[in-house]
Amino acid sequence: MTYILEAKDLRKQYADKLALRGLNLQIAPGEVFCLLGQNGAGKSTTLNLFLGFVLPTAGAAFVNGLEVAVNPLKIKEHLAYIPEQVMLYPHLTGLENLALFSSLAGYKYSPTELVEYLTEAGLPVEAVRRRVGTYSKGMRQKVGIAIAVAKHAKVLLLDEPTSGLDPKASNEFSELLRRLSSQGTAVLMATHDIFRAKEVGTRVGIMREGELVDVRPTAALNAQELEQLYLTYMH
Amino acid sequence: MMDSIAQKEFVSTLRDRRFAVLSVLVLALLLAATLVGRASYRTLQQERQLAQGTVNEQFRNQPARHPHRVAHYGSFAFRPKSGLSLLDTGVDSFTGSAVYLEAHQQNSVNFSQAQQSGSLLRFGEMTVAFVLQLLVPLLIIFLCFGAFTQERETGTLKLLLSQGVTLRQVAWGKIWGYSQAVALVVTPALALAAALLFTGEEFSSGVDLVARLTLFVLGYGVYFFLIVVGAVVVSAKQASSRAALVTLLGFWILGCIILPKATANLGASLYPTTTKAQMDAEVHEEAQHGINGHDPQDKRSAELKAALLKKYGVDTEEKLPVSLAGLQMAAGEEYSAKVYQQHFAALNATYERQNRLSDWAGLLNPYQAIRPLSMGLAGSDFAHYVHFQQAAETYRYNLVQRLNQLQADMGYGDKERRLDASTWRQLPVFTYQAPPLRWVLPQLLLPIMALLLWAGLLSWLGLRLISKTPVA
Repeated sequence: MTYILEAKDLRKQYADKLALRGLNLQIAPGEVFCLLGQNGAGKSTTLNLFLGFVLPTAGAAFVNGLEVAVNPLKIKEHLAYIPEQVMLYPHLTGLENLALFSSLAGYKYSPTELVEYLTEAGLPVEAVRRRVGTYSKGMRQKVGIAIAVAKHAKVLLLDEPTSGLDPKASNEFSELLRRLSSQGTAVLMATHDIFRAKEVGTRVGIMREGELVDVRPTAALNAQELEQLYLTYMH
Repeated sequence: MMDSIAQKEFVSTLRDRRFAVLSVLVLALLLAATLVGRASYRTLQQERQLAQGTVNEQFRNQPARHPHRVAHYGSFAFRPKSGLSLLDTGVDSFTGSAVYLEAHQQNSVNFSQAQQSGSLLRFGEMTVAFVLQLLVPLLIIFLCFGAFTQERETGTLKLLLSQGVTLRQVAWGKIWGYSQAVALVVTPALALAAALLFTGEEFSSGVDLVARLTLFVLGYGVYFFLIVVGAVVVSAKQASSRAALVTLLGFWILGCIILPKATANLGASLYPTTTKAQMDAEVHEEAQHGINGHDPQDKRSAELKAALLKKYGVDTEEKLPVSLAGLQMAAGEEYSAKVYQQHFAALNATYERQNRLSDWAGLLNPYQAIRPLSMGLAGSDFAHYVHFQQAAETYRYNLVQRLNQLQADMGYGDKERRLDASTWRQLPVFTYQAPPLRWVLPQLLLPIMALLLWAGLLSWLGLRLISKTPVA
């Protein structure tokens, strides 16, 4: 099977902390893999390693078969990233933010196309030409989603994407992930949100102190079982 | 990619109310300084032209007189201001503007604005150069301190980099965007200055002025560029916006206040100058030991007399076809001028060493590189002042020697006679031609090299540092 994301014995040692202890992970196209774990468990480090923002101490991360450390720019053609806090540039409008990030990814869209991406991500059309400084967190998150979608990436890396979103915005976000997944986009999502993970994930992985201690298909668990499993590993 | 980031920075900057307020303030100061500089230039230039014309007329309209009386009546040389001094007054306000030209004496240039103004002038003038050298860098600091720290604090840096751009590309984009914002603030004032310089009838525009103004603008362009690069590098290397701002303000204080003062003090300590009174006394003393035109008993005076008697084959002064006193005056003038030139050269060499130390400090501090470059191009630096001083002395010496020759040609008994008033109208009056750019350019090579070195090193080393900055 061809994996779009793969980690082989991935280790990351910071000066005073071993953040990742030999992670092995494979994610296939169309799969939504949710990484659960407490703060400091190694979720963000995993995402940073796949993004090439940090170099592994040992092992390797692969995106679409390319080793991240060797091809740090090339692999970004296949990745889109949505951080926990999508702050964007407050003095630019939603449309201008999307135009900027798309142009950096090599896509030049017409204003009409940009508006389409933004509204499809759930941003009200009347907000498109307003400065992002006036947006709520949910609205900014939607621009972040539009940025990711407009990049036509094969992989979405999400760091606590629903944190602080209201239930409606979270639902819309889940809906979008399902749609992208059905189109073959792989998703690696670091989250604390067990129920969202159960709702959209195809597999969940539980991380503890830099180790992936358990991986389960979400179909085999109900929400309560997942919560119980999570709590078991957290204590 | 860089263009997109630059465009983002430029647009974001323009829409940032804090920057808008600051830049409007700086632009207003620049425009005001340009207009005040022009008004000041016009007033001083008119005053000096009028004064020069008046003293020239007075000199030419003297009645029938003995030439030596005319030599003591003397004249004045007024230093015309250079066109670009409206942008940078340099040392003009502290050096004199007029020198009294007379026989036997090499007077110093007097009547500086600092002498005639209150002590407030010593705090520095609000010139275009002051704003460009000190305030625009502050504006750049406030503009750029958050270049990378804010991106990190808000998480947009990761978002940017995830699009497939490198840190180096982000940095260059930011540098280009901020540079455009700075240009937007500075250009109107420089355009106004150029318009005033090339359309104002009081300015003598020409190729030299165009070349000087072009280099002036380029010099400041490099200065602002390296400050933008430096600020972006500091922002990339600091953990927080606050730390970046404090660091940059620290550099500003060090570079614009502490180092220039320290260098000036060090220069004065390493290369002390004699006081004016001390130098005058030494010149007088040494001149006295030589041939003195007023002292016929002097040994060398006697030797001259003996040589003249021998040359003309006569035995008494009365039989000489020339005035012995006139030739003694000429010899005395030659000797005292030589003495003065030696002291003057030694004093200037000391000042040069002090200035050179400050110029070398430009390798450590860009502010101390742009300052001499700006003054030199504006024609308001120490070298241009010395050029005027020497032109005035050359004129004085030639005038006095010509008068001495007139006296010598009058023959024995000249003291009882006078020359016709029309004689003085045939004598040249003082006119001053400021040196061209090619004269001053070799002296500005060090500051130019220092600025280019700073820009090159910061771009190379700074951007290497940025590209190695941890992202997460």
